[in-house]
Amino acid sequence: MSLSLEMRKLKRTGYFFAFLAGGLLASAFPLVNMLVRPENFVSLPGDPFTILVDANWQMMAMLNILISICGACMMYHTEYADNGMQKMEVLPVRPSSLFWGKFAIGSLVLAVMILMETSVLSGCAVHWFPAYQFDFLQVAKSAGFQWMVTLPTVMLMLVLSSACRNMWVSLGIGVILVFTLSILPQDNLILSFFPFSSPYQTFSTAVEKGRQFLLLGVCAVETIGLGLVALLYQRVRRWYQ
Amino acid sequence: MKFFSLVGVELNKIRRSKILLILFAPVILMWIPCVINAGMNFDLREIPITPQNNFFIQGFMGMVWFMIPASLIICTVLLTQTERSNKGILKMLSLPVDTTKLCLAKFTVLILLSLIQMAMTVGTYYISAAIASQLQDYNFILEPLYVCRNVLGIYAGAIPMAAVFWMISILIHTPIFSVGIGLASIVPSVFMINTKIWFVYPMSYPFYLLMVEYGKAAEGVYETQVAWLPWLPVAVGITVIALMVSCIRFGAAERR
Repeated sequence: MSLSLEMRKLKRTGYFFAFLAGGLLASAFPLVNMLVRPENFVSLPGDPFTILVDANWQMMAMLNILISICGACMMYHTEYADNGMQKMEVLPVRPSSLFWGKFAIGSLVLAVMILMETSVLSGCAVHWFPAYQFDFLQVAKSAGFQWMVTLPTVMLMLVLSSACRNMWVSLGIGVILVFTLSILPQDNLILSFFPFSSPYQTFSTAVEKGRQFLLLGVCAVETIGLGLVALLYQRVRRWYQ
Repeated sequence: MKFFSLVGVELNKIRRSKILLILFAPVILMWIPCVINAGMNFDLREIPITPQNNFFIQGFMGMVWFMIPASLIICTVLLTQTERSNKGILKMLSLPVDTTKLCLAKFTVLILLSLIQMAMTVGTYYISAAIASQLQDYNFILEPLYVCRNVLGIYAGAIPMAAVFWMISILIHTPIFSVGIGLASIVPSVFMINTKIWFVYPMSYPFYLLMVEYGKAAEGVYETQVAWLPWLPVAVGITVIALMVSCIRFGAAERR
């Protein structure tokens, strides 16, 4: 019920199209890279899929984060802009189901985006590396991993945009967080667990360092924890309204 | 109404928007790692650059690449959204004020906010350079003329980009697209400054100017001369066209 309601709210905001366009743009990175300078990558030793991910994922992850920020801001902007939130509060709908519905949509469209990106990456590997054997399990694992480590970012952004009434404040905080965590050193273990920093971690590097399960676990805990914080905050805010 | 009083009105509208806080936070945040890691400026990895120049350029790198465009986008959201709630813009458009003037006044506020941010950046640069000098016992402070000239150059390079973002925010009414296009356009600017056609991409201008300065301070990193000739006419053309389009289309959706 609440999921379809949230979907209907987003119908005319261009939300789904924006994610589709973002996914296409991110998928263009490896394609352009391979079309313009294939010689830089084809000769590298190692697994072709890993080479391509290592070369392109930083940019693609950044795009995923930025589009997720826009999406989260947009979802709550539609609620706050014309006092839709007040109307929602008098309906027999739990405020928490509103939040979880939005999170479900945000994470689903992110999954679609990441699926698109990984399939283009593996397509590039098949096309440009003749020796590459397509390994469905590896690609699926990688896509699942990237999705899981991006979820805390989506959640934190939803929390921020549900807390701020004005779109520029939530957008500003989100952009500042992207900026701050991108200038901090990336190889620090503790910093790599932070939302806005964890999406840059690639599956192959995590496996190499043997911390894939640690990362997944921490990200799952962060996502659930942040969701609970958001619900608590909404409760507290209603007392003071 | 006179143009300057219109700008004053626009500034009054955003008085309680907390925008200066949002512009100030990244400026502080960007210098903290620079001060903490100031010792790394002595480890130059074969690049012939002085530590004080390295401190200045590395500090500004994140700012010009990401934060200037992102701040401009946030400010365009602020300028368009404050008036869209409760139909404030409809009331403005029904007043006997020239819409072109109104549009240009808002654009002036946009670049004024960016100027304020640049001034804050210079201020915090001097504070953090002083702290780093104390910590490392080495003078990191560059002369004010050099710093101001560079920062003003970077700021001037950001104006075409501001005009393009302003045009996008007026042409595209759904905020997710205007913001999304803006933010997505930041990401490829690193690619663009290494291609031959960087001058058609306004989002890469500030980054290009800083890279040229890097090239001047450290031989062989990047070009040492600004390639004025194809760039300047193209930049001016982009700015003028973007401003003209935004003035023509300003308020068109509301007037319909």
